[in-house]
Amino acid sequence: MNTNPDEAKLALWLEDELHGDELKSFEQWILTQPEHIAAREEVRHWKQMISATLPESEEPPYPDFFNSRIMQAISQPVTAAPPISTPKATPFWKSWLMPASAFAGMALAFWVGTQTSHTEVRQTASAPSKTEFQPIVYTPDGEVNAVWTSGADASVIVLEGVNPIPDATDFTETVYMDTDHEIDSTAGRDSLPH
Amino acid sequence: MDWKMMNKSTAGSSKNEQGTEVPVDLGDSLSTPDDDLRLVALAQKGDMRSYDALVTRHRGRIFAMIRNMIHQEADAWDLSQEVFIKAWHALPRFEAKARFSTWLYRIAHNVVYDWTRKRKIESAGELNDEIFERDRIDPAATTAPAGGEAPDESMSHGELRVKIEAALGKLSGEHREVVLLKDVQGLSYKEIADVMGTSLGTVMSRLFYARQKLQALLKDEYESR
Repeated sequence: MNTNPDEAKLALWLEDELHGDELKSFEQWILTQPEHIAAREEVRHWKQMISATLPESEEPPYPDFFNSRIMQAISQPVTAAPPISTPKATPFWKSWLMPASAFAGMALAFWVGTQTSHTEVRQTASAPSKTEFQPIVYTPDGEVNAVWTSGADASVIVLEGVNPIPDATDFTETVYMDTDHEIDSTAGRDSLPH
Repeated sequence: MDWKMMNKSTAGSSKNEQGTEVPVDLGDSLSTPDDDLRLVALAQKGDMRSYDALVTRHRGRIFAMIRNMIHQEADAWDLSQEVFIKAWHALPRFEAKARFSTWLYRIAHNVVYDWTRKRKIESAGELNDEIFERDRIDPAATTAPAGGEAPDESMSHGELRVKIEAALGKLSGEHREVVLLKDVQGLSYKEIADVMGTSLGTVMSRLFYARQKLQALLKDEYESR
């Protein structure tokens, strides 16, 4: 027969936490066990030493100020916490319509984007031909007399009163001509009058 | 507005079961748990004078407990106040299933552990004072810092309290708390389990090992008494 008490009850007895009938019935056995009685005395001795050394209660410094600060803190109105928005139930049609419309919007934006980029490619392909060449138009300053003579081989235009043309003038840029072949600025040179 | 004037009409009295006014002494003569419950009932109605009386009655124990836990008087002062402020806000939920003091210890337990956790995070990477403990210095070291004591330590050198506090400081937080609650504050196993939010068996086990370690650390003092 196992006469040993359970550990929990022994621990309670050692700390003087057993009372009433439970204590009486337990002590019938435990008081015959000198080692347990010695253990309880040791616990009592230990507790007496600790409790005599470390005070159970110790007034905080400036006790009145201690209280007044607490009272000041708790008498201030507590600011109401912002209401927490609870998620509302999403209607059934929204659950599939919203993703579908979002997808359609993205597809439309992608298509518009591709169309826009094609147009720009075409524009940029032709634009340089207009912007790269800025034709220089020669305009006489004063009164100029022009004599035009047309022969069998050539047409001659004689301008009188024209100011000298600066050497820096580049005649290749004087006129824009939309032509595939190279402009021959010397054509008909031999037929020009000297 | 003077907080002492608030709810003056209800302060100092409570109604008994027949509905008649029963005077309640708010002075220091109140000392039983029943008086605590009467004051709590008044405070729950908004009577701040009653709550002030509760603070006066329990501030010493709470302050001593926290001070012994963290070993810093200034922080213990602040944390003790935090306990009573939190207790005031939680007061509507307090039910007289446990003693008011046990309930306060429970709040103190949470406040101290929150504070300790926060300090661990904030002090991560800072210099660890433990490296200056003399017993951790390599005995073969050719140089060692001088072992002079601080003036306040020197004055109280030889006092048992200093040695016990130093020994308590070497225990883990759980072991230190269970010793303080049991051997200093005199709580029962059940109450300690409620305060620490753990089982009765865990409390018994922690107390056993904590005392063993403390007795080993205080061997000379303990055996000479």
